[in-house]
Amino acid sequence: MAQIEVRHLSKTFTSKDVKVNALKDISLEIEQGDIYGIIGMSGAGKSTLVRCLNYLEKPTVGDVFVDGRELGGMTEKELLKQRKDIAMIFQHFNLLMQKNVVDNVSFPLLIQGVRKKEARKRAKELLGIVGLEEKELAYPAQLSGGQKQRVAIARALASDPRILLCDEATSALDPQTTASILDLLKDINKRFGITIVIITHQMSVIRKICSHVAIMSLGEIKEHGLVDEIFSHPKTKEARELILKDVDGGETGNLAKPQDRLMEAKKIRIVFSENSSFEPVIANMVLKTGRPVNILKADTKNVGGIAKGEMILGLPDDQKLQKEIEEYIRERGLEVEEVTGDV
Amino acid sequence: MFSSEVIQMLVKGIGETLYMTLASTLFGYLFGLPMGILLTISDREGIRPNAVLYKILDVIANIVRSVPFLILLIVLIPFTRFIVGKSYGSTATIVPLVVAAVPYIARMVESSLREVDAGVIEAARSMGASTFTIVTKVLLVEARTSLIVGVTITLGTILGYSAMAGTVGGGGLGDIAIRYGYYRYEAGIMAVTVILLILLVQIFQTVGMKLSVHLDKRK
Repeated sequence: MAQIEVRHLSKTFTSKDVKVNALKDISLEIEQGDIYGIIGMSGAGKSTLVRCLNYLEKPTVGDVFVDGRELGGMTEKELLKQRKDIAMIFQHFNLLMQKNVVDNVSFPLLIQGVRKKEARKRAKELLGIVGLEEKELAYPAQLSGGQKQRVAIARALASDPRILLCDEATSALDPQTTASILDLLKDINKRFGITIVIITHQMSVIRKICSHVAIMSLGEIKEHGLVDEIFSHPKTKEARELILKDVDGGETGNLAKPQDRLMEAKKIRIVFSENSSFEPVIANMVLKTGRPVNILKADTKNVGGIAKGEMILGLPDDQKLQKEIEEYIRERGLEVEEVTGDV
Repeated sequence: MFSSEVIQMLVKGIGETLYMTLASTLFGYLFGLPMGILLTISDREGIRPNAVLYKILDVIANIVRSVPFLILLIVLIPFTRFIVGKSYGSTATIVPLVVAAVPYIARMVESSLREVDAGVIEAARSMGASTFTIVTKVLLVEARTSLIVGVTITLGTILGYSAMAGTVGGGGLGDIAIRYGYYRYEAGIMAVTVILLILLVQIFQTVGMKLSVHLDKRK
């Protein structure tokens, strides 16, 4: 059984006469050791979903299983204990502003009844892991955003959790700091085998560290699976939109203007995988057919450490030639699909 | 005008005023702090919403706070006599002062605790903190500065009330101001007592503010 399993979960918020269906029949499985991304625009329900995983929000309908145990069937006391296994970090860090760094990290241990001296000792070790040993006596107000998030990560690790929930943990940080926090999360996942669930609206976050992704829109999961798969073959409109919006990944060369694209007779999308980027496929193809093709969009992205290229070509009007080109590309082991309308 | 007797009387007055103010504030917090905490957590947005409890506390606080202090002082005479054994003097005055202070303090505490960032409370909940832990380790700690400012303001208000209690034989500086300044037309003594009252409020205010700024780590 998966480590986290969500079955037919729905959540409805009722205030006065207005009913909001924040989550609609969500089912999801997250395996031990995964870095699972949940992406969507704001208002998609992803923050509510992640709060159902530790029962900060109680689902209206449906069950959440963590390590085979159903959270809804737990008593209040059991639930408080269970939360020790499920740590959480937040967009705005949520540190105790009146406590210094080492006391902040000790806090979850003190809640569990660990002696103050021992808690501080453990807190100092954890600050070492996140690279902030020298800041132990500083107060959160004296730290940068990235440092605050590192303190929050150390605090989350204090109770030796098996799962770490990240709610927009990098959304308040600049790109460089985001990258360093993501590296830290990846490192934690590898070193301690902690399952990480990441809520984000940035596709670049998913691409950089997630193994799996679920795409949410209006309270529903539109598509889910391996990040690799979804980047190569997005099936839904929502997934395509999110991939297109992912601009900070690599160099995006959008060469053609929209009106130029419409003039092309046929458009195809090619996806380069691991090793195909080495061969100059397009150039060879042009040399072979003797006819030029129009490169409408080309982009390389680093997906989970593997270079993924994507290219959209506008083909000449000649149908025979179109077939020939597609075959040529397929022979080179590349994936081809026809795209219609505005890519 | 300022014979040694008058000076002695003023010194005694200061002592009584301080005694009434500090003791009332202390007892006031003994009941007002828990009441304020209960108001905060039982609120619809609180960590333990409880509409019935909130409504009851809310109504009690509003009723007591809307009765003018002078009326409260008189209405409570039988109750004061029951608790203290007599209805005049500084110690007796503490009873109505506490009754008036509790809902006032509860509201002060409530507004201080409301300022605590909901995200921090959520973080504590995600760690498995119980309601009691959240109150003692998160709410009271994070709101510390604001709570101290609240104490400072309360001291000033209770000091004012204690002066009012002078009119019904409560003792303290207010009593002196009324007896000498108002009934005997000794404007000099009245002026001095008023100045002393102003000085006391100034001292409370300065010490309180200094302390709260000193304890604030958000900068």
